[in-house]
Amino acid sequence: MKTRKFLAILLVLLIGFGQVFAGGSSDKKASDNGLTHIEMWYNATQTEVGPLPNDWVGYDILKDMGIELEASSLPSSTVDQDTKVQAAAAANELPDFFVANREVWVRLANNGMLADVTDLYELMPERTAIMFDQDAINFTTIDGRSYGFATPSIVTKNEGLVIRKDWLDNLGLEVPTTLDELFDVMYAFTYNDPDGNGKNDTWGYGAFIEETTYESYPGRRFEPLMGAFGVEGTWNFSKDNFGLQIHKPEFYDFMVFMKKVIDAGVIDPNWMAYKKDDFRAAWKQGKFGIMREQNSALSSQNNYAPFDANFPDGEWLVIEPPYGPNGLRSVGPAVRGLRIWCISADAADAGKAEKICEMFEWMAHDEGYLLCGWGQEGINYTFDENGIPVSIPGDMGFDGPIGQTYIQLRSMAFNYTSETELLSRYPVYTCENSGKEMSALWTLRDMQSKTWTPANGMDSMPIPGNDLKTYYQQGLAEFFAGARELTPENWQAFIDQLDALGATEWEQEGYEYAVANNYLY
Amino acid sequence: MGEKGSLQNKTYWSTLRKDIARQKWIYILIAVPLIYYFVFKYVPLWYSQIAFRDFKSVRYGILSSDWVGLENFKEFVTSHYFWSLIRNTLMYSIGKILVSLPLSVILAIAIYECRHNKLRKVVQTLAYLPHFLSWVIMYGILLSLFAPGDGIINDLIKFFGGQPIDFLTNSKAFPWLVIFSDAWKEMGWSAIIFIAALMGIDVSLFEAAMVEGANSWQRVKYITFPAIKPVIVTVLLLKIGTIFEAGFNQIFMLYSPAVYSVADIIDTWVYRQGLLEGRFGLATAAGLFKGIIGMLLLFASNYFSKKFSDSSLF
Repeated sequence: MKTRKFLAILLVLLIGFGQVFAGGSSDKKASDNGLTHIEMWYNATQTEVGPLPNDWVGYDILKDMGIELEASSLPSSTVDQDTKVQAAAAANELPDFFVANREVWVRLANNGMLADVTDLYELMPERTAIMFDQDAINFTTIDGRSYGFATPSIVTKNEGLVIRKDWLDNLGLEVPTTLDELFDVMYAFTYNDPDGNGKNDTWGYGAFIEETTYESYPGRRFEPLMGAFGVEGTWNFSKDNFGLQIHKPEFYDFMVFMKKVIDAGVIDPNWMAYKKDDFRAAWKQGKFGIMREQNSALSSQNNYAPFDANFPDGEWLVIEPPYGPNGLRSVGPAVRGLRIWCISADAADAGKAEKICEMFEWMAHDEGYLLCGWGQEGINYTFDENGIPVSIPGDMGFDGPIGQTYIQLRSMAFNYTSETELLSRYPVYTCENSGKEMSALWTLRDMQSKTWTPANGMDSMPIPGNDLKTYYQQGLAEFFAGARELTPENWQAFIDQLDALGATEWEQEGYEYAVANNYLY
Repeated sequence: MGEKGSLQNKTYWSTLRKDIARQKWIYILIAVPLIYYFVFKYVPLWYSQIAFRDFKSVRYGILSSDWVGLENFKEFVTSHYFWSLIRNTLMYSIGKILVSLPLSVILAIAIYECRHNKLRKVVQTLAYLPHFLSWVIMYGILLSLFAPGDGIINDLIKFFGGQPIDFLTNSKAFPWLVIFSDAWKEMGWSAIIFIAALMGIDVSLFEAAMVEGANSWQRVKYITFPAIKPVIVTVLLLKIGTIFEAGFNQIFMLYSPAVYSVADIIDTWVYRQGLLEGRFGLATAAGLFKGIIGMLLLFASNYFSKKFSDSSLF
């Protein structure tokens, strides 16, 4: 009897506590002070400095608009951002307003966790005119309804294949233009002591695994090599040759070339273990001489300084990617680089969507735009004679150690295309050690002038299931690591298994989506 | 009969009330772990029903999701990776038991037998220390030790004329790295329980053995080891109960696609399916499967332990 009573009590407690603990605190009501409380997760402009300070003047301005903003920064890496958002979704703890990558967005939208924002664009006329063209709206549309605001997150074509010009000069080599020449330069950089320090401590190529929804394993850092075989990006968007690149015969040729690079020992062998920060520390230490890198990471003042200190005579040159055997070349697929601002379904149910739009619109022009983009005039920035906001020298300037924290919401304001933004973001500066004059904008222009593959919409293509994605990554990695011998037979067996796991269906789904959205060229 | 039962009940509750009033701090102390276990270990049992439902979203709750019977379990056991997940999970669990347990026992005996107080304390501290490092920090240490390009171990291999080994992406080397790095990290901490057991041995046994002329090895063999055998069996049984817990944090930090074939365990698969894919039903089914098998193994090993030796958990 006692046991039965005990079990009954336990069951009641389990159900009761279960509802309390696992239901999470999804209280999305307005604040007691009459303001609409908005919890927001943003991606910080500068992940190396602190979060948006509590005395940010924007908080007070928003209060006057009836909004009590609680802003929290997401982790710096995309993977960690995805994990945090998905963990919050799993616990029904999504914030009211947050930024998400498309892969995550698809899952959240399909699980009914995002608000339908189709009718909210009209509440933001300025922002819509600047950012939300039909492509951007299509990016967040499922069955004719939009579930998020796709905003530009990067400057397009902002990466490039770069090479150590000083090493080329030291060894009397020319800039490589073909894949064979590139391999020869990699070889010389590895074995001919390009830095002249008498040690065998350099490699030709440097990379790490960086995948996106449109740049599958081994990812972005190898796109210039894949581009030489015409297999850059996850998909081939040409009308007469549409499909998954991995299904193309040229992908096998790329694998053979990669194997040659790995077996010859001309790639930094840590490439499979490096994280982004390790990779960036490595090129600043002069470990390799060829890589694909981003303009700002390569040549903005703070990022370039350690390299300049280590190698005052060092110089990175942006080059055209090499031509492959069929005369093809590409830095990689060029997409618009959109990220999605989402309103949680709970927030919409609590009647917060309109206030969120009001805040988002405020950030897109005039007062809000300047405040998010550059801080306060006279404290964080001033205008130069051309009307370009420039940082005020000192800690509080928008590029100073404290001032940078006041522009953490810049990505919510910028459209990343206006000349004013670019000139202000990438000023000309003089290197402390070498005395060189540099600008990340010059590097950007150089990178944008190189050969890219048009890939509009590739980042919105269907995504594979987990087992298929795992097998895709695992198979290629095993060929690279030598766990599987790269032969035509083994490659075909790998492709067959990939198809058995759903690659063919994924490709078909992709084809239908690409045709429906007019992505093919 | 009814009156008698009611009387017994009353006596029971009044005794309990008095006891709680008298020993309130002891009960408060007990309450903390009990609440922890209730909230984090028992409450989630209610939610294990997700494994039997087509659970789409926490937003709409569990009760509004349709029942799908054993569909999620079926999908898990017929998945392409099922057998390799089982194999890898068991490989790491058993490997860690086989390596870490003897090493912990040896370390405990060595520390217990050490007659130099200062040396003993230094060794103990150094052995415990890695336990307090997270696997994120450990990854950094292991990378600087084992990186193929400039890791210390590979520098040594190259110095002696060998070819560098990429321990982190080589499918043959990776399992050893996982098992031995875990042993390094946890050996000292695991030894505590054995040291505690050793402290309980009657010193007169050692004195008598020494009088009889027993050497150090004979003292360990005939006194120390038999004395801690029940603790070893208990620890072993507990580990068998969690045999499908192969160490998510460690594998998650160390693995990469090149070693998925030998590194992917049930927990990492569940993480990718559940958290990253949002397929909570499937992930819960895999977790439940793991728990049920673990429980069956625990009962079985406890039964056999009771049958063939004097030690058992219950």
